[in-house]
Amino acid sequence: MPKKQSISSLVNSLKEKKISVHELFDQFHKVAKENANNSYNLVLDPDYQKSNLEISQERYSNGKNLPLDGIPLGIKDLFCTKGITTTASSKILSNFIPQYESFVTQQLLNDGAIFIGKNNCDEFAMGSSNETSHFGPVVNPWKNKNSPTEKLVPGGSSGGSAAAVAEGSCVASMGTDTGGSIRQPASLCGLVGLKPTFGSCSRWGIVAFASSLDQAGPITNSVEDAAYILNSISKHDFNDSTSSNHPRDDYLKEIDKKLDHKIKIGIPSDYLKNVTPEIIAQIENTKKSLAGYDIEFVDVTFETTDYALSTYYIIAPAEASSNLARYDGIRYGVREEGGNLDDIYLNSRTSGFGDEVTRRILIGTYVLSAGYYDAYYRQAQKVRRLIKDDFQRVFQEVDFILTPTTPNEAFKIGEKLDPIAMYMNDVFTVPTSLAGLPGISLPSGLSANGLPLGVQLIGNYFQEKKLLQLSHLIEKELSFNE
Amino acid sequence: MSNNWEMVIGLEVHAQLKTSSKLFSSSPNLFGSEPNENVNFIDAGMPGMLPVLNWTCIEKAIKTGFALNFTINKHSVFERKNYFYPDLPQGYQISQFEFPILSEGYLEIDQPDGNTKKIRIERAHLEQDAGKSIHDIDPKFSFIDLNRVGTPLLEIVSYPDLSSAEDVVNYMSSLRQTLMYIDVCDGNMQEGSLRADVNLSIRKPGGELGTRCEIKNLNSFKFIRQAIEFEFQRQIEVIESGGSVEQNTMLFDTSTGETRPMRSKEFSHDYRYFPDPDLLPVNLTDEQINQIKPSMEELPHQKIARYINDYKIDKDISKIIIAEKENTILFEKMVNESDVNPKNIASWLVGDIFAFVKEKNLDVLNLLEYTKDITDLLKLISDDVISNKVGKEILPQVLEGKGKPNELVKKMGLEQVSNTDELEKIIDDALLGEEENIAKFQGGSDRVLGYFVGKCLKSTKGKGNPKLINKILLEKLKK
Amino acid sequence: MSEIDIKRISYLAKLKLPSEKEEFYSQSLVDIIQWVDNLKKIDTSNVKPLHNVTEATVSIRNDDIEKNNSTEDVLNNAPERAQNFFKVPKVVE
Repeated sequence: MPKKQSISSLVNSLKEKKISVHELFDQFHKVAKENANNSYNLVLDPDYQKSNLEISQERYSNGKNLPLDGIPLGIKDLFCTKGITTTASSKILSNFIPQYESFVTQQLLNDGAIFIGKNNCDEFAMGSSNETSHFGPVVNPWKNKNSPTEKLVPGGSSGGSAAAVAEGSCVASMGTDTGGSIRQPASLCGLVGLKPTFGSCSRWGIVAFASSLDQAGPITNSVEDAAYILNSISKHDFNDSTSSNHPRDDYLKEIDKKLDHKIKIGIPSDYLKNVTPEIIAQIENTKKSLAGYDIEFVDVTFETTDYALSTYYIIAPAEASSNLARYDGIRYGVREEGGNLDDIYLNSRTSGFGDEVTRRILIGTYVLSAGYYDAYYRQAQKVRRLIKDDFQRVFQEVDFILTPTTPNEAFKIGEKLDPIAMYMNDVFTVPTSLAGLPGISLPSGLSANGLPLGVQLIGNYFQEKKLLQLSHLIEKELSFNE
Repeated sequence: MSNNWEMVIGLEVHAQLKTSSKLFSSSPNLFGSEPNENVNFIDAGMPGMLPVLNWTCIEKAIKTGFALNFTINKHSVFERKNYFYPDLPQGYQISQFEFPILSEGYLEIDQPDGNTKKIRIERAHLEQDAGKSIHDIDPKFSFIDLNRVGTPLLEIVSYPDLSSAEDVVNYMSSLRQTLMYIDVCDGNMQEGSLRADVNLSIRKPGGELGTRCEIKNLNSFKFIRQAIEFEFQRQIEVIESGGSVEQNTMLFDTSTGETRPMRSKEFSHDYRYFPDPDLLPVNLTDEQINQIKPSMEELPHQKIARYINDYKIDKDISKIIIAEKENTILFEKMVNESDVNPKNIASWLVGDIFAFVKEKNLDVLNLLEYTKDITDLLKLISDDVISNKVGKEILPQVLEGKGKPNELVKKMGLEQVSNTDELEKIIDDALLGEEENIAKFQGGSDRVLGYFVGKCLKSTKGKGNPKLINKILLEKLKK
Repeated sequence: MSEIDIKRISYLAKLKLPSEKEEFYSQSLVDIIQWVDNLKKIDTSNVKPLHNVTEATVSIRNDDIEKNNSTEDVLNNAPERAQNFFKVPKVVE
């Protein structure tokens, strides 16, 4: 893996003029443009970014640099970027050029970040392996040391974002997480992936998958980098009715603060019921690494874990079936002609959506349809409340919850054909999403095959600051990056 | 022909709310703009766009709640109604379903026998209007204009308490009037600000209710009447010829006055309503609801009562005035800024002033700048400076702003002759050589008095004060 | 688990499944619906549905007009247009 450069060290190098903004961009652009792992749907060249690079350099020259000035970032191709094709990795949007900038990417631009390109992802963020993209699968830069020619998945749906950071084509990448789409690929690519509390980061301008679950967040090399990005993107947005106006912390400040009080971390025994010893070892290693601190680990049990995936695979497709109704070839996107209006609808949508998206639209339509709504959709919403309450019960006892991020290491491209087997990838990340809680995946070790594995740390609502502080500590003690 | 069949009708009225911007976006809520001029990325259903609720729409719904005796629900939820249509960019309409903002209201309508009838209203909910598909520009293509997308609508759903076209028109016009009074809707039916879907079924008195058909999107009282009459007869004919009415959505053809079923669908609709995850529930406090109360405008029936009680105006005249809110604005301004008897103002208003407005095709509110002149004119009449007749002659000039009444009167030399000496001379002249008629009067013929008054008025060119002339004449004749 | 009317579901979703794929999707749907069927085991009779983890009141805006885009911005991704209209084959009602 390429040498990891932190945002703070890069900002310092730029400040000290050890490197120019242009040189830094070129360095990452060179890797991105190779697109060796298909982690980009679109790479922006230095010419396109010329004026942004110049302005950024000027700010450094004037000593007035912004927090992310000149930092090359990847952006999941789910964020609408003004004047830059935004496809959601779908055929139906393959020609779509938004005339607006998403709230989150606008914050990054406001802080001086420079975009390297649009990262490949699962089509409409539906997938856990980045294999559903219209533009082909993304390859995980990590190789199985026992079978180095095998192409592995980077995880999904923010697979291109994770692969891009891992391959060194951007410093960090913006992903989105609906049921694990930041945390799972971060885990499979040996990175840090943060899904903030629902409502922290505006969804305005992000192509919607499941509105009550979608949340933007960074995939980064380090916890500190995640704090840098979160500082930029976590803001109240008036244009997103579900955006929280909860006051935001400075996540970077005191990120390395020493623990000054005892904390309790719950480990849900039910999460560890059917997992391999290798996965259990990740939890054990993490526990061990924290042995010298005033941290108590306690067993906790959730009553709803077995129902989380079912709940998710009703609610998310239901919302998606409605969110994706706007893709019809009438006002934007790819139109497939037909003799009459109905044919245009049918042809554009049928040919515009891939298999997994079609499948989820069908599931969602079914669970909302007359006669099934109560049994599936309404029931799932009720169980969702039980899941949320379940977490709140556990958080009465503990400050954080520690779980594995994924039940397995990165698998081969094309290996998992059965959708349900694929959905099982999200078994540890989905409950957090349903409860709207913040979760972060931290690299915790390597598998026997030399592939990265991760643990997930879950905090209570809007406790990102404490979550990042503890993550920073774990990161230091596990010293994965060294 | 109707062979004892009776109709049972429920009405769904869509009222566009009078707001500056749309229900969930800040685009202008305007009629008659250039195609797609009032469309932003939210209205066009662009990827990642999100709705934000316009508070004024909630306020207008609450006002409607007060005016139509609704229960105002503290908890209401916006849901998505999913269907595909080219003028529905999101692929769903945001509406309220399980938890509407208003439930269980009523409106009282007048019956021909002078009684009132209570029409119960099941619910009213907020929703987005759709865009427009224009079919008549090109033979092969429809053109889509999204300007109307997202315009706030209040859909007001009555119980099937209406039993004639007359009832429906009364209900609709009373509803329209109320919504206009409280500034919720501009009531412009031609522009589609108020549209009705009519649900009609038939039955024999006391018999079982038939299957209902829904006639969509009627935007004039005339069409509503025509559509109901046609659909009523159609259903009777179907049943009397041994058939059965199929539940159907009907379109009304304004050129033929007939209803016909919409193109039948392969499958029935299934709108798959579910709470819109982009929006949180609307939770109102008592305080928020009660804050609206003081800003409630006087309702039509309240105005009628006040006109009758405080101003002693006849019910019929009061009704004519309150028919349009504009009338009451004009009327009340005149009452408030002058000491002319309101009853007098009212009769001039519904008489010559309305006639003038109608003849010139004016907006009543255009006259607001002349209210002082109008009441000054009425005062000249009541002070006997000019005659009623002269007043009527001058009025059009006053209404056109051609001058102040007293100046006009002077300029045209139309002041009433009320000088007794002058009148006595005129009367003496008139009586000259009329010995025969004078004898007739003294013999008991009253008719002759009229003849003399007429003669005097003629010689004053209408300017003589008729009351004075009458008085002096009588004195002279009785001598 | 009753049969899923895949034709009706795809009709509602405005999708025209190729006949050779109808069975594939149909089976997939049956499998997934069976898989999520375990939710039926939970007694939720006293539980209120949770639409969104944030249960606060919807945020609201004042009735102000804002115009941040031109008509062209809205139309320039249109597959087909005629002047400033979106254009589609004739709609028959």
